[in-house]
Amino acid sequence: MGTQDLIESGILEAHILGLANQEEQELVKQMVDENQELADYLVDIETDIMRHFNGSAVLPPSKLREIIHLRSRESQQKGKHNFNNKNTQDNRNSTKYLDVEVNDTHIKVHKFWRPAFVAVFILSKIFLITGLYYYFKTVNQDQQIEKLKIEMQQIK
Amino acid sequence: MSELEPQQNGVDRQALTKQGPMTSLEVYDKYGAMAYGIVLQILPQVHLAQEVLVSVFSSPQLQACNSYPFSFAACIIKLARAKAVEAKRKIMAIAPAADSITETDASPQQIFELSFCQGFTPEEVAGKLNISKSEVLRSFHEYFKLYRNA
Repeated sequence: MGTQDLIESGILEAHILGLANQEEQELVKQMVDENQELADYLVDIETDIMRHFNGSAVLPPSKLREIIHLRSRESQQKGKHNFNNKNTQDNRNSTKYLDVEVNDTHIKVHKFWRPAFVAVFILSKIFLITGLYYYFKTVNQDQQIEKLKIEMQQIK
Repeated sequence: MSELEPQQNGVDRQALTKQGPMTSLEVYDKYGAMAYGIVLQILPQVHLAQEVLVSVFSSPQLQACNSYPFSFAACIIKLARAKAVEAKRKIMAIAPAADSITETDASPQQIFELSFCQGFTPEEVAGKLNISKSEVLRSFHEYFKLYRNA
């Protein structure tokens, strides 16, 4: 394919826009490496395409800059951390680091604790009711004894 | 005039030449508005577009643009489009819309719109408009030629 044919084919534009397939991309790279005229033309197309998209540019809200700053810093730190971990693992294979981030105020327990808590609750109620029953029974018996004592004293 | 604002006439040549590795924020300051415009063309929903824009500039792929064989801007254009089209496909998978091609207008504008903004591959566009793939690619050249001469 000649230079002019390649220019008119639209493959260069498709390549810059990300619409070219692998084969077309390879072709463009190869042709650009070999042909300075084509390389210059590619810069011109890039200029046109950039001017086209700059014409429809929209200023994003300022808050996005801060979000991007935080996200990119996070990913950098993650990358650094992974790199450090890799080094550490190389040195000490037995050591493993686990990052745990908790941002809630609740604790979590195993699900088996649920029946245990229910059993303790039910047993506590049974003991409470039993205790109250025997307490009132004893109080009642004491009152009856007192009553009987008074009656016996009156009879004497 | 800020670099974020649309440039009136011509593009700064320096922007197209190779520079040292740029940080995400430097790239955002330089190309954020252009990328946001591209994303909005593909995804008109503002909140989604903003999410995509954040993902573009916090993406690890952005660092690959430093070693991109062509200009940084071209890499940003590709990345912004790819992310926006990916998000659009996800939305379409959840809520499929009716086929947007109702007319067989094969003008360069229509072909550019279908390929770049709607996310169809040149092969798909060719199939939908009953033209050859080479005609689709040639339309891109025509589209920017018309733009240049306008």
